[in-house]
Amino acid sequence: MTRTPLLAIPVLVGLAFSSAVGGGPLPIGATIPMLDVAMKNVDGKELNLKSVVQPAGTLVVFTCNHCPFAKRWESRIIELGNAYAAQGIGVVAINANDPKAYPDDSFEAMQVRAKEKGMEFPYVVDATSNVARAFGATKTPEAFLFDKNGKLVYHGAIDDNGEEPSKVENRYLKLALEAVLAGNEVPVKETKSIGCGIKFRT
Amino acid sequence: MSTISALVLAVATALPAAAPAPVPAGAEAILAEVGKPGASAVLVNVWATWCAPCREEFPDLLHVARELAPKGLRLVLVSVDFPGDEAETLSFLTSQGVDFPTFLRTGKDEAFVNGLEPQWSGAIPATFLYDANGKLVRFWEGKASYPVIKKRAQKALDTKETR
Repeated sequence: MTRTPLLAIPVLVGLAFSSAVGGGPLPIGATIPMLDVAMKNVDGKELNLKSVVQPAGTLVVFTCNHCPFAKRWESRIIELGNAYAAQGIGVVAINANDPKAYPDDSFEAMQVRAKEKGMEFPYVVDATSNVARAFGATKTPEAFLFDKNGKLVYHGAIDDNGEEPSKVENRYLKLALEAVLAGNEVPVKETKSIGCGIKFRT
Repeated sequence: MSTISALVLAVATALPAAAPAPVPAGAEAILAEVGKPGASAVLVNVWATWCAPCREEFPDLLHVARELAPKGLRLVLVSVDFPGDEAETLSFLTSQGVDFPTFLRTGKDEAFVNGLEPQWSGAIPATFLYDANGKLVRFWEGKASYPVIKKRAQKALDTKETR
């Protein structure tokens, strides 16, 4: 019976959705993908996600240098990253953008930015953009937080106001980090913010 | 007519008229704009002046909108530029020859993104295509080229016949 799948297709597509990724983001409860892929850190050394993972929990943030949204949240990302890395959370920032599209996202520019801003956690290059694809990340900034069991417990925005830090009402990522450290359930598991579409390498 | 006034006139006609200032709008206002009668299909594009792919795609969107306007295509442009970027936004719209009302996103990101379309991740550029009934028929994240936009818009216009 070969006709059934064909008949099912229009139902499945329903609304034609075309995005750079297609597969959708990693669902809550998923484990960390692409653990073994080597990525170059701003210190010049290669690392993989397996080496970032910590028993207390792991935070992966897709970000970049050039994007005005990522820049608005940059200090907050670094503040959270530094603070929670010190408390035992594995933290990594990943730049998956093709620097041919955005020269500001070159490895050298990343090194400068990490130093300038005092990043105390790795800031690495996703040289094929395949790590971003596996996470289903579509934009910068976009955070993925995994608990002590390596399960995704939070995906989305840093907080609810990129433009005006003084007007933030919900510190989603901070609340999720606190919950993970305390072994509690993350209160809000999925949020969205507007961000720059990742320029995937082809 | 003096030489000077003729010169002034020549310069004035050569410059595009200033674009109307974008109107602040949340997701509901954008969807209300989509639902306004008179269009056979509506294309909503979310963009920002500092977003390179958005700027690259902009002339193609306008090109399609101008070509298909007689067939009933309406283009709704929504800027997500930050407060303080108003002058740059207006200057870009003017440089592109936009002479119709456009919008400036207001309110929180999540309410805007999910209010417009829950399947949208929030990445820009994002483009949404609605049929004459205001039903979303297609959307995409990332820029599309002129022929792709035109084909999709044409298809949305064509579905009108079958209703």
